[in-house]
Amino acid sequence: MNPETVQTIIDDLGALLLFTMILIIAARQISHAIHAVAAQSLLIAIAGAVLATATGNEDLWVIAGVTLAIKAIVLPWVLHWVVRRLNVRREIEPVIAISATLALAVAVVVMAFHLSASLGPVRQAITGNALPVGIALTLLGVLVMATRMTALTQMVGLFASENGIFFTAMAVTQGMPLIIEIGVILDVILAALVMTIMVLRVRSTVDADIADLDRLRG
Amino acid sequence: MARTLLWVLPLIPTITALLMLTTRARRILSAIDVGSSAVLFALTLVLAREVATGGPQALGVLRVDDLGLVFLLLLVVLTLAVSIYTVGWLRQAVEVGNMKAEHLRSYFALMHAFVATIVVTVLADNLGVLWIAMEGTTITSAVLIGYHGHQHGLEAAWKYIIVTTIGISFGLFGTVLVYAAATGVMGGAGAMNWSAIMKIAPMLDPGIVRIGFVFVMVGYGTKAGLAPMHLWLPDAHSQAPTPVSALLSGILIKCALLAIIRFQAIAAAACGPAFPAEVLLVFGLISIVVATPFILVQQDIKRLLGYSSIEHVGIIALGLGFSGSVGTYGALLHVVNHGVTKALAFFAAGTAIARYGSRDIHVIRGLFAVAPIGATLLMLAALSLAAVAPFSIFVSELTVLRAGIGRGHWVAIAIFLVMVVVIFAGLLHHVGAMVFGEPTAAAGRQAEAWSPLFGMLMLAAMIVLFGLTIPASFGGLLQRATEVVVG
Repeated sequence: MNPETVQTIIDDLGALLLFTMILIIAARQISHAIHAVAAQSLLIAIAGAVLATATGNEDLWVIAGVTLAIKAIVLPWVLHWVVRRLNVRREIEPVIAISATLALAVAVVVMAFHLSASLGPVRQAITGNALPVGIALTLLGVLVMATRMTALTQMVGLFASENGIFFTAMAVTQGMPLIIEIGVILDVILAALVMTIMVLRVRSTVDADIADLDRLRG
Repeated sequence: MARTLLWVLPLIPTITALLMLTTRARRILSAIDVGSSAVLFALTLVLAREVATGGPQALGVLRVDDLGLVFLLLLVVLTLAVSIYTVGWLRQAVEVGNMKAEHLRSYFALMHAFVATIVVTVLADNLGVLWIAMEGTTITSAVLIGYHGHQHGLEAAWKYIIVTTIGISFGLFGTVLVYAAATGVMGGAGAMNWSAIMKIAPMLDPGIVRIGFVFVMVGYGTKAGLAPMHLWLPDAHSQAPTPVSALLSGILIKCALLAIIRFQAIAAAACGPAFPAEVLLVFGLISIVVATPFILVQQDIKRLLGYSSIEHVGIIALGLGFSGSVGTYGALLHVVNHGVTKALAFFAAGTAIARYGSRDIHVIRGLFAVAPIGATLLMLAALSLAAVAPFSIFVSELTVLRAGIGRGHWVAIAIFLVMVVVIFAGLLHHVGAMVFGEPTAAAGRQAEAWSPLFGMLMLAAMIVLFGLTIPASFGGLLQRATEVVVG
């Protein structure tokens, strides 16, 4: 593949990534948000495979495979399992209206592109629009976490945010060293595990959503 | 020898953590705990001696230099004190049912896993490994914060794991950007190693490093408890078991500062020292100002100490922001002094809480009448935290102040001084009311146990010593660590 084709594919994938992010923000049911974040992880894996073919960097194949297995299949499956297990009655519970969150999201995307454009010549050295897309995804993940009151939605936001970092790492540097990427994914799995246990534990003792507890103040 | 120690040091707490799972007896668990911490302490002293004579040592992704050594020494002093304190604290906590005897082994295993991740954080040369270890500290300590298993503990643990995980995602993003800048100059191999990046730092693209540093500052700043990203800190510090609170405040938030210092050095070389210094100055001042009102109105002794940590982290950031050799030296000294003092404060508060069965400042009254030694130690810690001479924190705050005057940051100094005076009054008002006066009906009359006292006296001796004079060997180490940062 010639560099321009790669650039076009990565740009297209970036656009799709932003689209899945919008789906997560606009989702009114938790299961929709989980599907969207799974699709997003799948796109990251595809981006990894494309870059692996283009650069001949075999580590990227491993990273793409692990991303596909863990973030596109296993973690969403665990989240779905928790949703069924908790028998979630309350769905997304936004702190501010979803339409307002979407407006904020647009502002964040514009800001991310503006910030990257200010870098000038440096940006030319970096694959296409990967940097602004990565920044936007990372920040939008935080936005989801800040504006949703349920633990599971906050976890979806966290995964989306980390997808943004992985995408940037792939596109900007042909991936971090393999050992580091594996370590990061391991941390994500462990964190998800601990969070899931906490969510289930609170639900079993006080029948409340852990993210909704607000007794600690001042 | 020194290279062997580099991989042996993280291995000791890891093996100890596994060993803890083999027994349920409290006495044996405590013995392993103290023994392992003592071994870690002794080996770190050996390593310090090797580095003092042979310079920095590297082994793969791990590396020890004078800067890391300052944090490593603080860590091993605190873990030893925590282990000794835990012996008596645990006996009491099991008796009143705060800790369940059958779950103790998982508590100790998690504690040592937590220490292992901190050791790797301090020794990491590879910035990716630094991040992975830092997230490791979040995961292990989150479980420890919610360890009591009640609703409030779990709420604090959830807030902690969500806020710091998302925070240090930003740190990873910043790391990726700096790595991208470094690969542009030197190619992929070794471009994530801090020591390698420092060699080529002046050639890095300033634009990308600047954005990277801001992400790192917000990211690791969250973990360090800098305002306005501090929201998790008071909850986590107040809900965690006391030995965990001491480690969180004493060393964990300092490790995040170590990460910030590493990136500050890179950013200072790539885009001039003024930019990272200004960012640190702003976050430092915000933290000091935000913490002050909460210290004044606080009812919960452990939350009070949590907010005080935000203030002191702010002072460290301020010292780094004043930069130059005086500011950096003052900041590093403050890292050590605050770590030791805050651990003592949490210990003393923990024994008082156990005696009165409450964390409420209005319930803990007349401590001196029922527990004179514990009350004296609590007062000593509070005096040092309020920067009263001749205790250790007074010396480091004075050094930070001197750096600010030398640089002519008059506005920052004015804000700093006003807040320190207000906090002085608030802190001593709260602690004075707890220590003096008539004991309330809730006060337990039992004699003071030796084990918590011994752990506390060890730290108190350091506070007094560092207030009077800094030992020459340690002063030399701090000086060399300062040179690592400012070049």
